[in-house]
Amino acid sequence: MVDKNMPVMIVDDYSTMLRILRNLLRQLDFNNVDDATDGTDALQKLHAKKYGLIISDWNMQPMTGIDLLRQVRADADLKHIPFVMVTAESKTENVITAKQAGVSNYIVKPFNAETLKGKLESVLGAFA
Amino acid sequence: MPQQMHLGEAHEYLDKVIATLQLMNRREKGPLVETLEHLSNFIRSTRNEISSLRPESSNGDYLSSANDELEQIINETANATNAIMSAAEDLEKISETVDEKTRDGIISAVTQIYEACAFQDITGQRITKTIRAIQKIEAKVNALASACGGTHIEPLVELRDIPVVSSDVALLNGPQLSGDAKSQAEIDQLFASA
Repeated sequence: MVDKNMPVMIVDDYSTMLRILRNLLRQLDFNNVDDATDGTDALQKLHAKKYGLIISDWNMQPMTGIDLLRQVRADADLKHIPFVMVTAESKTENVITAKQAGVSNYIVKPFNAETLKGKLESVLGAFA
Repeated sequence: MPQQMHLGEAHEYLDKVIATLQLMNRREKGPLVETLEHLSNFIRSTRNEISSLRPESSNGDYLSSANDELEQIINETANATNAIMSAAEDLEKISETVDEKTRDGIISAVTQIYEACAFQDITGQRITKTIRAIQKIEAKVNALASACGGTHIEPLVELRDIPVVSSDVALLNGPQLSGDAKSQAEIDQLFASA
């Protein structure tokens, strides 16, 4: 059973995308959502609270999503957190690099609500 | 002739050679002077063309201006997208006060609005790529204009990028053009086999 009250971290440098993700997650009953605008900002927040899911963009400055993923997977306290990449980077080498770095799933922008739900279910388990 | 010279110095040197040749016997100098005069005129017109492109010149600031216009597009589309989403969020709240069938219809429409608003992220990334390309052109034009003018002038435009701290800079390409972009199904297939 998925705990939808768990804290979720969303990371994107576009405030509109953070708002879209927050709204779509709310429709899926995830209401405990925090956000960050790049990897550095996210890492600080990830150490302050126990998160159950990270949804991150790739192309951000100064710390990118792939480097955030690597830092998360290298951190004993964070490495267990499911990490979904949501990005416009759709080249083969991006997908392979992310998979090798331990990403849990990969969503290409622009995406729809059904895709988001499907990927989250594949990572967290089926929603009730 | 110095080993290194600016285009302006080269042009002056060429004019001196032409003047010297003009003092020589007409039969010997004819075709050579004509060729050098062509070359001199070509250099002069090239210098003028490049000078007119100079980013800081009064009639050539269109590159900086284009960047400002593009940045304004990003800001204005962000403002418009936020306004649209605020209205959609209000609709979502209103949907809690109506019957279930109407509510489902509203939520479905609101979800489509949220999905469509992602255009601002994608267009923003594409415009940012264009701004960076223009900034690079601007810096190169300024450097070229400085070389032609014979004086060194610091590039006017500093690239406004924040340095990316990443070991995979080559993987930062932003949205692909529609013919090259992979679909979610293709990504899924790739992800499963990687």
